[in-house]
Amino acid sequence: MLFSQIAFYVLAVIAVASALGVVLNRNAVYSMLSLILNLLSLALFFLLLGGLFIATIQVLIYAGAVMVLFLFVVTMLTPGGQAPQGDDPLRWQWGAGIGMGAILVGALVWAGFTGAISSDAKAAGVSSLTSAIAAFGGNTEAFGMALFHGYSFPFEITGLLLVVAALGAVTLGRRPTHADE
Amino acid sequence: MPLSAFLTVSGVLFAIGALGVLVRKNPLIMFMSIELMLNAVNLSFMAFAHFLDSAQGWIFVFLTLTVAAAEVVVGLAIIVSIFRSRTNIDVDELNSLKG
Repeated sequence: MLFSQIAFYVLAVIAVASALGVVLNRNAVYSMLSLILNLLSLALFFLLLGGLFIATIQVLIYAGAVMVLFLFVVTMLTPGGQAPQGDDPLRWQWGAGIGMGAILVGALVWAGFTGAISSDAKAAGVSSLTSAIAAFGGNTEAFGMALFHGYSFPFEITGLLLVVAALGAVTLGRRPTHADE
Repeated sequence: MPLSAFLTVSGVLFAIGALGVLVRKNPLIMFMSIELMLNAVNLSFMAFAHFLDSAQGWIFVFLTLTVAAAEVVVGLAIIVSIFRSRTNIDVDELNSLKG
């Protein structure tokens, strides 16, 4: 077996197991750590698919910055580290959720294997990534050329989105003052 | 590995994330499940970028990453402000629009 095949199967098992860990763990902090493992395994998937730059920002931004913020809030909001126990008022939603999940897995796997999605995958390709990497002298360079030449407007909108998100967090997070009453 | 293998992993991860949103009651874990779904879609974008030999998938992953960061910031701020006004943040108990 090729190295990439072994890597694929190992990563697939880690990714699916850690995703199940996120959903099934009772303690939110363990769910969180499981999610970080999942994000790191996805970064390795991206490396396997040749996306060096995207894998790097996945580790730095997603598994690093975003998840640290998440972990702070999780530890702040779960005193004692245990989820509140008690009888479940909506018990039927477990059955409904598992049924829907099974249908979703079936449909997506069917679409992937029968080629409903990927039949003309090669034919639809417009610009060649391999030639771009060769022409611009690297993975990050090719990504930068694609981002700033073809998609500079969406990139600008991204900046606006982040400003709005920061303002929203500041507005929602401040303590109520006397002027509000 | 063929494209369908990556799409299968992506589909399974997405379904697990959807299941988490449907069955869990802790809004933080529902949030993590949304992150799982976003990342499952990112994986399929990367797989398509590789097999189509096109940089467009990378661009979309980049945009998804920024949207996810913004979503986490605003969503966590909302959860924290709910937690301040009422100590229970269980989503089944949150059935009123009043603050």
